[in-house]
Amino acid sequence: MSTYTIPVGPLHVALEEPMYFQVQVEGETIVGLEITAGHVHRGLEYLAMKRNIYQNLTLLERLCSLCSNNHPFTYCMALEKIAGIKIPERAEYLRVIADEIKRIASNLFNIAMLAHIIGFDSLFMHVMEVREIVQDTKETIYGNRMDLAANCIGGVKYDLSDEKIKYLIKQLDKLKKPLEEIIDIYMNNKFVRARTEGVGILPKDEALRYGVVGPVARGSGVNNDVRVKSPYAAYDRLKVNVPLETGCDVRARAIVRLREIQEAINIIQQCLKDLPDGPTCIDYLPEIPAGEAVAKSEAPRGELIYYLRTNGSDIPERIKWRVPTYMNWEALKVMMPGNKVADIPLIINSIDPCISCTER
Amino acid sequence: MTDIGHLIFNLLIFPGGLFAIVLGLLLMGIDRKIVARFQRRVGPPLYQPFIDLVKLTRKEIIVPETAHLQAFRLAPLLGFAGMIVAVILIPIAGVYQGLEFSGDLLVLLYLLSLPAIALMIGGSASSSPFGAVGFSREMVMMMSYELPLLLVLLTVALKVGLKTGGIATFSLSKIVGFQLENGALLFDYTMLPALVAFLIFIPGTMGVVPFDIPEAETEIVEGPILEYSGSWLALFKLTNALKMVVVLGLAVALFFPTPLGENTMLNLLWYFLKYLILLVISITIVRTSTGRIRIDQAFKFYLKYPTALALISLVLTLVKG
Repeated sequence: MSTYTIPVGPLHVALEEPMYFQVQVEGETIVGLEITAGHVHRGLEYLAMKRNIYQNLTLLERLCSLCSNNHPFTYCMALEKIAGIKIPERAEYLRVIADEIKRIASNLFNIAMLAHIIGFDSLFMHVMEVREIVQDTKETIYGNRMDLAANCIGGVKYDLSDEKIKYLIKQLDKLKKPLEEIIDIYMNNKFVRARTEGVGILPKDEALRYGVVGPVARGSGVNNDVRVKSPYAAYDRLKVNVPLETGCDVRARAIVRLREIQEAINIIQQCLKDLPDGPTCIDYLPEIPAGEAVAKSEAPRGELIYYLRTNGSDIPERIKWRVPTYMNWEALKVMMPGNKVADIPLIINSIDPCISCTER
Repeated sequence: MTDIGHLIFNLLIFPGGLFAIVLGLLLMGIDRKIVARFQRRVGPPLYQPFIDLVKLTRKEIIVPETAHLQAFRLAPLLGFAGMIVAVILIPIAGVYQGLEFSGDLLVLLYLLSLPAIALMIGGSASSSPFGAVGFSREMVMMMSYELPLLLVLLTVALKVGLKTGGIATFSLSKIVGFQLENGALLFDYTMLPALVAFLIFIPGTMGVVPFDIPEAETEIVEGPILEYSGSWLALFKLTNALKMVVVLGLAVALFFPTPLGENTMLNLLWYFLKYLILLVISITIVRTSTGRIRIDQAFKFYLKYPTALALISLVLTLVKG
């Protein structure tokens, strides 16, 4: 049988962002894959080195939409490391809350996209409707549906009043029941299972070899959750259960994401319970000395690493980040071959690619 | 046979042509509205398919440079022509007799496969790799749903044929006539499996989720019709609307043609109501409650369940007469 190439992308209905995959197929079976990147390169690294550290907070938040909170969060941690700033304890908890809320919204979005890709539009609509609960919460507490603008150097920009805490608890409770239903559907619905089980297999040894991160790794039974392995902010004081699946397929990754939503709800509830009193931010404008630092955090898609070098001025000398998708998309070359053409978008979606972060 | 003037009227105004197009588009609008309500959306207005078509006809037609022009242009016409002829073969009991000749069921069977063939020709002529994938998928789909369809038609033909003293009657008007005298086949338990098989066949041939595999939007971006634009695309949409009328009409004619009474208008409304019920059962509910399956899964599915059901009916018919 002859081999021919199917172009998936740069603009494809099932991809949210431009990305170009040249898939070699034999009949309907995939035999090879080539990834061409660079369609959303906006020169953000360069831009970040032209602006001062405060302006960068705003800039980095706009790097990507779904993990927008993690970028300024990690950037702040790197800066604070250089300047030796100890942020107030309340701020650490508030940072965790903001991060977990974003994680819920991000994972629900990816799960909804899975349903859309397999043509299960009713399920897609249902999950997106449930996600609205989280979006409403974000809008009420932070004033925005996407970019929270929660972080600032030395703390956070927002505070939770008693009223807002009550509201947050109510919203999380509202989320629990539909979430259980959704998990049941994704685990047991015949049509979802028929399409996701045994598709896009990434064995554990390959997962380790490619160094995949986040839910992709945890779907293959590799636990490398930064929140547990190298706790930051308030995570060392919180109990984080990392959901692990050993299915190694698209289904396993989806279930890991769903379980992570449940875990995020748990974490927020723990935070709200032990939320200490005190200031939410340092009360002076810090001076950043010359130095360099690396900070990392667990974004919804996996480990996010920031490298930052300063020279004493208010403009960073070098700022570089390594995003989770960069590690994950190479593993597509293992997941794809042997699957059918119908599974291409499904497998791509299963690594939850964030192209804006990766190509910046 | 009716005279030429009558035939042209049937072909262009009623029950084919204008009437069938309006009916088909209206059914599609209703289907979209119900699906939207199931998904808690407001949904488009009922006339949305009509204005979509009007808009499409006003758009520019773009032909890919590498496409085979003749085949690319003829494909939409082929499907449309096939369906417009197929519509006048379907009798509406109490309103319209159909063309009364003895092999119309067989002709209909051939005509029914024309839209799929048109899609295949268009897809492969477009020279797009998605078209090529769509072509092979359409072919597999056709092979999988044609077998149960054939068996169902054969069963009905045998049933009516044996009862009327022949072997098999491949005449729709005779089948309808038989049911008008002896009661609808819907109420005959030996025909129930065949009816279910036919209901399963409908979403497959109409290309709706879970069987919209040849045109899967999120996988191969509409496949065969990806490169079509403007009024040629509109022809494909029209073909689909007509096909819905033909397929649902065939189901009504085969299993439940019973009219309400003597009044033509009342019969027409009754006929419309039957269409609606069939539409909701076999298309709307199916497509809201399922996700798309893979082509290999669909192939296995069709060769297993509908075929088995149709065979049960066939055997029962042969045994019981």
